[in-house]
Amino acid sequence: MMRILGAAWLIGLLLMGPVAHACRVCRPRVQAQIHTPDYTANLLILLLPIAVVLLVGAGLYFAPALKPRPSLPARS
Amino acid sequence: MTETLHRTPLIAAGLLMGAGLGGFVDGIVLHQILQWHNMLSNQLPPDNLVAAKVNMYWDGVFHAAVWVLTAIGLRMLWAASRRADVPWSGRTFVGGLLLGWGLFNVVEGLIDHTLLGLHHVYEYTDDKQPWDMAFLAFGALLLLAGWGLVRAGRHDTAPRAAYQA
Repeated sequence: MMRILGAAWLIGLLLMGPVAHACRVCRPRVQAQIHTPDYTANLLILLLPIAVVLLVGAGLYFAPALKPRPSLPARS
Repeated sequence: MTETLHRTPLIAAGLLMGAGLGGFVDGIVLHQILQWHNMLSNQLPPDNLVAAKVNMYWDGVFHAAVWVLTAIGLRMLWAASRRADVPWSGRTFVGGLLLGWGLFNVVEGLIDHTLLGLHHVYEYTDDKQPWDMAFLAFGALLLLAGWGLVRAGRHDTAPRAAYQA
């Protein structure tokens, strides 16, 4: 009984709380500020450090395959 | 027949996963919980709702990219686990993780904080440089610790199959 009362009290508290609304007014301004002519430059600059780390990791992973192998003796 | 052992695939997997997870630490702790900076906050200070939401978008792009980095690292780990020429070593892998986190901090710190000034580590101060330097120093410490663990792991030579019952 106490559990049911506790749960009802919690649900009531949640229902009485302030309601959050999506920002319909500012959304067009947000979209406009994201998709500016600088969008591609921002994207490339932002991804640059991650690309550098990815290149280092991929280079390390494939290092054994990239190492020049000792040449086989020529067949007579 | 003795086969040459290759440790670099396991180090590379750890490095990419460490860099990805390090990126998540940066994004979750410094961007979202402490709110010290956002991805473009030095260029577009989040001092109104629109600017804050634009920064939130670029933070999301950053999180997506470090997620991809982590996923590629996980794929490499899977591939390395199936190779007989890759020694299975916890020290090597954890060393790789620390190397990756350190490399991420140093590369991101140098490019985003120092060279391009996209954002600084702590932006609620006039003198931002000490915070940026501390971030780089932490990255260098992680690199050193990772290097030490990777070196210690060179004595581990058994492949993963050797640990299976």
